[in-house]
Amino acid sequence: MSTTLDTPAPVPRHLPALRWTGALAVVAALGVAPLVLGGYYLHALIIAMIFLLPAHGLNLILGYTGMLSLAQGVFFGIGAYVSALLSLHFGTSFAFNLVASGVIAGAIALPLGIPALRLRTYSFVMCTLGFVVIAQTVAKNWISMTRGDMGLAGIPQPKFQFGSTVLNINTIPAYYYLAPVVAILATLGFYALIKSPAGRAMVAIRDNEVLAESLGVPTWAYKLVVFMLSAMFAGLGGSLYAHYMTVVSPLVFQMYYSTTILVIVLGGGVGRVPGAVIGSVLFVALSEALRITPELRMMIYGFVLLLLVFSVPNGLAPLLDRGLERLARISPVTRGGRTHGR
Amino acid sequence: MVANQDAILSVEGLRKRYGGVSALRGVDFRIRRGEVCGLIGPNGSGKSTLFDCCTGLQRSDSGKVVLNGRDITKWSMNRIAREGHLVRSFQKTVVFHSLNSEENLVLAGQMSSFPGLLSTFSLGPAAGRRLRRLRERAAELIEISGLQRVAHLPAGNMSGGQQKLLQFASMLMPEPELILLDEPLAGINPVLIEKVIESIREANRRLGVTFVVIEHNTDVLMELSHRVIVLHQGAKLAEGDPQSIVSDPQVIEAYLGV
Repeated sequence: MSTTLDTPAPVPRHLPALRWTGALAVVAALGVAPLVLGGYYLHALIIAMIFLLPAHGLNLILGYTGMLSLAQGVFFGIGAYVSALLSLHFGTSFAFNLVASGVIAGAIALPLGIPALRLRTYSFVMCTLGFVVIAQTVAKNWISMTRGDMGLAGIPQPKFQFGSTVLNINTIPAYYYLAPVVAILATLGFYALIKSPAGRAMVAIRDNEVLAESLGVPTWAYKLVVFMLSAMFAGLGGSLYAHYMTVVSPLVFQMYYSTTILVIVLGGGVGRVPGAVIGSVLFVALSEALRITPELRMMIYGFVLLLLVFSVPNGLAPLLDRGLERLARISPVTRGGRTHGR
Repeated sequence: MVANQDAILSVEGLRKRYGGVSALRGVDFRIRRGEVCGLIGPNGSGKSTLFDCCTGLQRSDSGKVVLNGRDITKWSMNRIAREGHLVRSFQKTVVFHSLNSEENLVLAGQMSSFPGLLSTFSLGPAAGRRLRRLRERAAELIEISGLQRVAHLPAGNMSGGQQKLLQFASMLMPEPELILLDEPLAGINPVLIEKVIESIREANRRLGVTFVVIEHNTDVLMELSHRVIVLHQGAKLAEGDPQSIVSDPQVIEAYLGV
């Protein structure tokens, strides 16, 4: 049999170990950050970790099934409102609210996804944009439930009770240690999803939906489940956000939130877990950190976006990959590796 | 050698129109279990549309498709593949370009190995066992197809011929009873043609897979097929063994030429 690929590029053996070392280094750096960073920078990192959750959701639906949803901000807002309403009306715990926000956001995605997922590409994007507008209008006008533009204030900060010991998460450094726990758990959950056989089916749908169907993959059902899961990730993020900010208003449904999530995923690298992490830190933390120069903030932010689009159009994750591969090539190499679930 | 004469697939009065054009005008035929049946006809005679209607990619306007005694006319494509054990290839070779060969093959087999959609989200021991079996089978098929050297590459980086072999191996993964091949020899070199033909024969003889093959390389198809059906302008023109088809004046006039 003839082949045009007689000398396939070998994959460095140490690459996976290097990747894990890098991931652990990031976790360790996050762990010691409060020792060297001031409160404002910690706040910026907290916001980055909160936005990592809806970014994982978008990465799942866009990066693994190839559907661009602008509704992540909607489910983020729903998660925030669910946590606010539950804690203010029923006094439920943070842990309960967190789970409930994810579940309810996922449940709301079901009736929205059933008609929306019948649509193709651009129509689907437009439909999810419509959800943003509707959600903002509902939050503004359903005053008896949301208090309209006044929003819901006084959302309690998280509190954990271990026997007689009460742990109040009421300072920035304290919340700083809570947010990464949730973010890391969500990232592990994301990994589990993409490593499962369902993750392979998602990639297949992204690559060629008709071929996937012809091999028995129920593509529409998968897309619906993925849409719900992406909403769950966003709902969890919204809950974290509500309990951190202690106030929720219709502003959470602004297009700004959905575009920020999109910038995180596209800038970090679509379909790449490290991409979402890098993207959330760079784009959210940078945006927050630049508040110290309000006059130049958005200009610098826009300039960074332009610079990235032109220099690394596929996002930062492939750049990181190339760097790690170069590093790994210092050691002996071997063939191997799978392409599914990166 | 046809092992069993009962019909695995029956098509009755199938009609399909695209706008003002009739692609199928009441087609009837039966495919016998265990045979290799050639499907020939000029371009635009409705061969691919017939495959599309039988596999659920297109919904016919009227008529019936019966697979293993079950009316599948209104079934979705994925259900036909999963429950009907019918898979197909497409005119243009398609593989999942970002997955490597093993992942392509595992994906092809996974929906028939897992009991339902939700079970595919599991990473538990049962899922692990199923995946292990799928990977073993994938490794066998990679070896049989001679794709070991490029097996780790994303399929999109493989040559056209290698993708063709991977596509054929993918169709065998779910252990189908019936495979519909749409121009399996188009655009490949003579060495690979031999390999694909041998693979079809092997799957037919050893695994008992029934094949319906659309192919313009009539010499090869006549040699490969037990029976041939000829379509012309959306209707069945002739049906019979290869010898009778090549000498049929109507077929010669409409398709084979002098």
